[in-house]
Amino acid sequence: MKEIRLALTILKTLIKNHVQYSGRLLVDTLAIVCRCGITLLLYWYVFKTNKGEVNGTSFLLVAWSMFFYFSFMLLRLRDTSKLIMEDIRSGNIEVLFSKPINYIFYRVCWQVGSGIYSFGVITLLTSVVLACLIGIPETMTIGIFVPTLILAFIGGIVLALLIYLVVGLLSFWIEDITPIYWIVDKTIMILGGSYLPIALFPPLMYKISLYSPFGAAYFVTHTVYESWQTVWLKLIGIQWGWIILLGLIVYFMFKSAKQKVSVNGG
Amino acid sequence: MAKELSFALYAIKKNIQSSAELRTSFLMNIFGMAINNISFIILWMFFVKSVGVIGGWQAADIIGLQGFICLGFGIIFSAGGGIRKLADYTSSGAFDRFMLSPKNLLLRVATSSFGVSAVGDIVFGILCLIVYAFLIHAGIYQILLIILLTIISMFVFLAAAIIIYSMSFYFIDATSVTTALFELFVTPAIFHGGAFQGVLRFVFTFAIPSLLIGTIPVELVRNFSLNKILLLVILTIFWCIVSLKIFKRAIKNYESSNFMTFGN
Repeated sequence: MKEIRLALTILKTLIKNHVQYSGRLLVDTLAIVCRCGITLLLYWYVFKTNKGEVNGTSFLLVAWSMFFYFSFMLLRLRDTSKLIMEDIRSGNIEVLFSKPINYIFYRVCWQVGSGIYSFGVITLLTSVVLACLIGIPETMTIGIFVPTLILAFIGGIVLALLIYLVVGLLSFWIEDITPIYWIVDKTIMILGGSYLPIALFPPLMYKISLYSPFGAAYFVTHTVYESWQTVWLKLIGIQWGWIILLGLIVYFMFKSAKQKVSVNGG
Repeated sequence: MAKELSFALYAIKKNIQSSAELRTSFLMNIFGMAINNISFIILWMFFVKSVGVIGGWQAADIIGLQGFICLGFGIIFSAGGGIRKLADYTSSGAFDRFMLSPKNLLLRVATSSFGVSAVGDIVFGILCLIVYAFLIHAGIYQILLIILLTIISMFVFLAAAIIIYSMSFYFIDATSVTTALFELFVTPAIFHGGAFQGVLRFVFTFAIPSLLIGTIPVELVRNFSLNKILLLVILTIFWCIVSLKIFKRAIKNYESSNFMTFGN
């Protein structure tokens, strides 16, 4: 109960902060226009030159899949690792450890709270714009789409947070985790279906994206394809399998990391 | 001028020596960045494999594109790593100490920091350009052209970076704004160049010079055109002049925060 109250307070405070400083919303909107807008324009041209179809997939499906990827990125979950590293480098970790809150729980709430406002507003607005411009694929109108999308979305948030927590917690042992962060982040970018949608993946790469945690964190990008209707249960199972495994890793890493810190107080 | 350059070289040398003190971190950053850059090559290779040849661009051209961009980015943000910190300097008031310095302001700011990870970009860029030259069976003229185009690309990169980070003087949340603007500039640059046609190509060549740092140089190496290279040089000079003017105008907006950071 105490934890839920803390989480709600963090979320409420951060949302209020973002509403107050609307410049950040503008910047996030500009970011999605740069990344997603330009990518979609290029793919529109590519599909046009290929008579509307590449690898048996239409532009409509690819566009929505990529939109889900870039929209998910607005949650800024990837910043978790950097924040943990900063806490350790600055010594702020000592202060946070001395408080009667769970550090990991606090960081997770902080991260979700930092991105939720921009994510909510921009996703809502841009999805309406995208629907008006290119339409909605049939696969998004069937009954199981919304509930399974929500499941994949929640699982994706938890899994992405766990991956970045593992990287962030390495700061307790490694002086500078930035290179590891880059490699993990780019692996997620490739296997998540960012600039190259999953429908255009070669067979081996597609399999890696299905069975690795890096691809599993972005299963929301799979939801628009026809195959999702038959494989959604299996994919969500894979996602939760990784969540359990990485959850255990984070638990033991954090337990061991806590012993490395000497809190001097005041 | 010679004095200013000699000071810049001295500052860069000291910055490198300072960064190299943390040897493990220094090396990990360099190799980490080089591995990080491979991801874009992997992405566009698969793109070419799935979609086929677009706008005459082949797999080798993607390697050349990454080479030009990484080398330009690496040189500018390693030696001139301070430009990227302009937003922090202005918001914290640390810019005061640069204004009090008798040296050239832009040079002093640029050489105030060294980007270690950008050295990884330089290494990766050079490797990519060597592989590219090998794959296209480049003759001596093409190799000289690659070197010339790398220099031009570097100047465009520098001009764009100065314009973008000068915006730090106009906005309160300068870090977010400059990051978004930099992304707007660099995102189209790392894309498959063949997919830029019509209006998009015009916008990202003349309004935002993203294609000047990679796509146009690669196309020039493939199909040399005197008119195109002249246009590239003219645009580079234009952007350099514009960037210096914008920087001069922007610093007039700076209001000292007087954080007593002089001499840090």
